[in-house]
Amino acid sequence: MSDFWWVVAATLVGLVAAYLVWTAGRVGRLHARAELAARALEAHLLRRAAAAAVLAERRYGVELYAAARIALDAEPDEREAAENDLTRQLRAVDLDPGDPDCEAVIAASRRLALARQVHTDLVRDARAARGRPLVRLLRMGRRRPWPRYFDIDDPTLTVPADVPAG
Amino acid sequence: MRIGIVCPYSFDVPGGVQNHVMDLAEALIGLGHEVSVLAPADEDSPLPPYVVPAGRALPLPYNGSVARIAFGPVSTARVRRWIIRGEFDVLHVHEPLTLSLSLLAVLSARGPVVATFHTAMTRSRALAAAQGVLQIVLERITARIAVSALARKVQVEHMDGGAVEIPNGVAVAKFSHALPLPGWPGECGPGRDGAIGFLGRFTEARKGFPILRDAFVELARQRPGLRLLVAGPGDADDLFGRFPAELRDRVTFLGLVSEEDKARMLRSVHLYVAPNTGGESFGMILTEALAAGTTVVASDLDAFRRVLDGGRAGRLFPTGDPAALRTGLADLLDDPDARAVLSACGDQVVATFDWPVVARRVLEVYAAAIEATDGRVMDTEWVGLD
Repeated sequence: MSDFWWVVAATLVGLVAAYLVWTAGRVGRLHARAELAARALEAHLLRRAAAAAVLAERRYGVELYAAARIALDAEPDEREAAENDLTRQLRAVDLDPGDPDCEAVIAASRRLALARQVHTDLVRDARAARGRPLVRLLRMGRRRPWPRYFDIDDPTLTVPADVPAG
Repeated sequence: MRIGIVCPYSFDVPGGVQNHVMDLAEALIGLGHEVSVLAPADEDSPLPPYVVPAGRALPLPYNGSVARIAFGPVSTARVRRWIIRGEFDVLHVHEPLTLSLSLLAVLSARGPVVATFHTAMTRSRALAAAQGVLQIVLERITARIAVSALARKVQVEHMDGGAVEIPNGVAVAKFSHALPLPGWPGECGPGRDGAIGFLGRFTEARKGFPILRDAFVELARQRPGLRLLVAGPGDADDLFGRFPAELRDRVTFLGLVSEEDKARMLRSVHLYVAPNTGGESFGMILTEALAAGTTVVASDLDAFRRVLDGGRAGRLFPTGDPAALRTGLADLLDDPDARAVLSACGDQVVATFDWPVVARRVLEVYAAAIEATDGRVMDTEWVGLD
């Protein structure tokens, strides 16, 4: 009889341990992914600002160029505001999709919008996993900072010829 | 790029998701990518060369209809093997929340996963109970696509996440090059002749067939030679019973049509009518009619107005009003120039729904998913976006 209870106890301990290991792996994986998504987002922000700077030098002048520079040089805590400002500046100018420099900015903005969407989703997943009671209790993932949202307006630029997607 | 696509439903039965998957795969191959599609099918059933059969699908009641899907240990092993052998850069699953190959593929995936949600499935009680399991599936997905505004809304409100809205594509060439049925569409002069088309379940109230019937009966009495071409599931006697005896020979019923015959049917009429009274989330058939170069007359529903560019690419009539529909039909049948103007604008609209254009937008989502898994940004040339 006592053998039987040992087996039951050992199985239970094994199951709990497996669940904990799996959960810790899951939390770690989601955090790593949110960090990689943040790096991709960062790269797309730089690309858009660079494309906007090129366009400003060629065609639209000082204000757009300044917005692009500020976005490129912004400190982390001013970054979101600077990127929103650049989006506003880009929306204010008349972009011609036929021009390669304009097209580069439109394409960079479109891909930035996708990177932002994916980043937001992955950060949400990571934060949800981190916020679970068991994960908090055992302080899993404490070696990594909480993943942060990057809160900017939708950077998609609407081109006049674009037909609204139904 | 090496792309693995998973279709949850069997290719042995026609359906919206299956057509979407096939058209997308062909468009991606056309853009120079390597594509493998995993779908439930018998080994001996005739399949396109890019489809890998994952075994027979079992009919299971699901969500009010019967879905033919594959699920279980054998399917799991096949999905795993396909993923390992494929060495895909990105895995694209369709309808990942159904019990299907798609769900298995998401759970077996190691790399970036893109998921497309087709139906505007609201959160059911079963789903709410399985929230923990659902979360495990959802958090393995890197990027989500919704095919309609409605499907996207469900994502945002019930699944706690965003989704990129990319509409269904239309294989424009398949429609614009289809041959009309023999003897159709025939003459269309002022005050006489002309051909009108309707496709769909004529017995279903929200498809609005009675509105078209009333308009047609009235107009056919004033207009000799006017014909009506109806395609869709249903019983011929039931259909003809809805028309007065003297007009029955002016109605032609094709029954349920294949994709090819659908294209031919749309090319066989002067006007395509969508008298729906509601419930359409996108209006796929309208883009198909536009691709066939046929003038569209549709009820003034939100979805239809969006597809028809507010009425510039097709005539809108007040929803549920047979008299207004009759006037609109009579005007357009008498005026080939007005039809040509609408069709020209329709060509522009449909160009944005052409599969190669839509496939490029899907490729950008693939790139975003790969980048989010990798942390590096891809060049557009490598993705094949140019």
